[in-house]
Amino acid sequence: MHLVPLVLYAAAAAAYMTHFAWRDPRTGRLATSILGGGVLAHTFLIGMQTMQAGHAPLVGTTAAISAFVWVFGLSYLYVELTTEERAMGVFVAVLLVALYIIPALDPTVTPRPPVLQSPLFTIHIVSVLFAYASFALAFVLGVTYVLLFNELKAKHLGFFYSRLPSLQVLDVMNARVVTIGWLLLTVGLSTGAIWASQLDGSLDPRAQAMSLGDPKIFVAVLSWGVYSFALLARRTIGWSGRRAAWLSAAAFVLVLLNFVPVGYFLTRSHNF
Amino acid sequence: MPLFAVGLSHRTAPVEVRESADFARAGLETALRALAARGLGPEGVVLSTCNRAEVYLVADSEHAAEPIGQFFSDYHRIERSTLSRHLYCHRGVEAARHLFRVAAGLDSLVVGEPQILGQVKAAYAAAQQQQATGAVTHRLFHAALTTGKRVRSETGVGDGAVSVSYAAIGLARKILGNLEGLNVLILGAGEMAKLTGVHLSTHGVRPVTIVSRTLPAAEVLAKQLGGRAAPWADLEAALADADILVTATGAAETVLSRTRIAEVMRLRRHRSLFIIDIAVPRDVEPDAGKLEQVFLYNIDDLQGIVRENLTRRSTELARAEAIVTEEVARFASWLQSREILPTVVALRQRFEAIRLAELERLAPKLSGLTPEARARLEDVTRLIVEKLLLEPTQQLKSVSDDSLVVSYADALNRLFNLTDEEKREAERRTPGSTVRRP
Repeated sequence: MHLVPLVLYAAAAAAYMTHFAWRDPRTGRLATSILGGGVLAHTFLIGMQTMQAGHAPLVGTTAAISAFVWVFGLSYLYVELTTEERAMGVFVAVLLVALYIIPALDPTVTPRPPVLQSPLFTIHIVSVLFAYASFALAFVLGVTYVLLFNELKAKHLGFFYSRLPSLQVLDVMNARVVTIGWLLLTVGLSTGAIWASQLDGSLDPRAQAMSLGDPKIFVAVLSWGVYSFALLARRTIGWSGRRAAWLSAAAFVLVLLNFVPVGYFLTRSHNF
Repeated sequence: MPLFAVGLSHRTAPVEVRESADFARAGLETALRALAARGLGPEGVVLSTCNRAEVYLVADSEHAAEPIGQFFSDYHRIERSTLSRHLYCHRGVEAARHLFRVAAGLDSLVVGEPQILGQVKAAYAAAQQQQATGAVTHRLFHAALTTGKRVRSETGVGDGAVSVSYAAIGLARKILGNLEGLNVLILGAGEMAKLTGVHLSTHGVRPVTIVSRTLPAAEVLAKQLGGRAAPWADLEAALADADILVTATGAAETVLSRTRIAEVMRLRRHRSLFIIDIAVPRDVEPDAGKLEQVFLYNIDDLQGIVRENLTRRSTELARAEAIVTEEVARFASWLQSREILPTVVALRQRFEAIRLAELERLAPKLSGLTPEARARLEDVTRLIVEKLLLEPTQQLKSVSDDSLVVSYADALNRLFNLTDEEKREAERRTPGSTVRRP
């Protein structure tokens, strides 16, 4: 059952690639439907896990990645259906497949330790996940911006010129999703901080490791700083366009680093 | 009933002939009425574009090509002998292929141009309004529109601008998004500046500012374009406001250096600037194109893009032709099954009539049978007729050659002596077939 979303995400990626290459609208609609099916199957899976465990499967890095993939797929579908712009799908679907491999390999649901029994935990993790999904979209928008930008600068209009929306649209959408992501990350980090301060007396070693010195928390705060700079630079010194695109692409690499290697191997505070 | 496509286009007729054979001049309705008045056939559509005049007709007779040509000649008052040199005539499936290629823009002067699809649609709508359409033209034109749409969306035949001015507009859209409300700055007030200004404002790019070393010249052009003129001294401010900069001065040396543009970019906080340098010699230092968010295209760059687009379009042609062939095959099989249908139905009716007559004849002898036995007899005789007809019907429907179908049908008509009366009766009963207009 846990492999069904993976298969569907992979099929969606293949369909989006075909659509991107040949620009056949029927393949495009098919790709959207398959991705919708994948997200739906993923929803059922998460629902089933919730029923079995008695709580939402949000504990542990693997579960968080699974939830992130779900949220990202859902957010992308929302953007695609509201803007009717399908060109981004190929990048998004590939990212979904790559990330979903991890939870597909290890579908066990970690039981929730008592230290996480708090509504603040849910707010913290949900807002951080949505923030990361926004940043993932910004990453895709940034990468496509640079691809199109390079074609326009090189004066050889080809593959991306005829497939991607205008630089202006990509830039505006990028600014929008970074803003949304930044707001959500702010909420996520502050609830995390409040909640950690409430845990001061806890004997759980992870609760005691909740400080800026922990790699996971440090990198999260660092990425918050980078996105804050991106928004500020856009407003004050005109860092829009390619600079903003690069910045949002690079910042998401930081987010991913924090998510996977740091989350699995380095953190002492978030290793549930 | 045979399908004809008769007409002339830029491929067969010089512009003088095309001008005088323009159906749109007196309105499509008038042309359609005049065509209907000839009584050549039940369905007719008139297609008119600036480069073609065509009549699509479902005719009563196999020899309708000549009368349609005569209609062209009479309607447009062109000498028949002059006209016949320029008219082409396609029949049956070839007529469909021609229309499909036309709708796909493959027969256009500029291959892949998009207007033709709308014109084909309008031609059919006009004919429909005059009640000059029927089952065949309905199917034909819908298939043509499908072909056109498929070619447009599945191939790159219509992709990319094929003129310098459209290439510039396309670039502006790709860089700046929606062009409405963007500021255009034109440097220079000569003929090239004017042409570009007119072209940009027809695409909704407004307001236009014109800066020239001679302010009166700028004011004249500004009046023509509905923009405003600014003195040379205000160039800095105008550059800071502009989204698109067109340079077309007659200056012998560079007017805008890289440092100057860099300074302006700082002023405008690196908002994207699209520079079209159409002056020869160039007005903008080429190195300025390396600046962040500056997109500098000179006339050679634009021409290079046009050349690339033309090459790309031609490589897409084969794929477009394949789509046309596919749709033609689909239409052909429909047309063929439709042609054979009256014969098949008439044949069935004949067999059924024989069966009923024989049962009738034997009625006195059968009167002693029980109702069950009579029902059984009824079933068995019907089954024999069905089985006898099954194989020939299937064979007929699977014939793929257009002319072979006609000769098969002809042979059946002769062998079974099916009269036209019977076939017309059959046709009348067949759903989806042409209903004659009163």
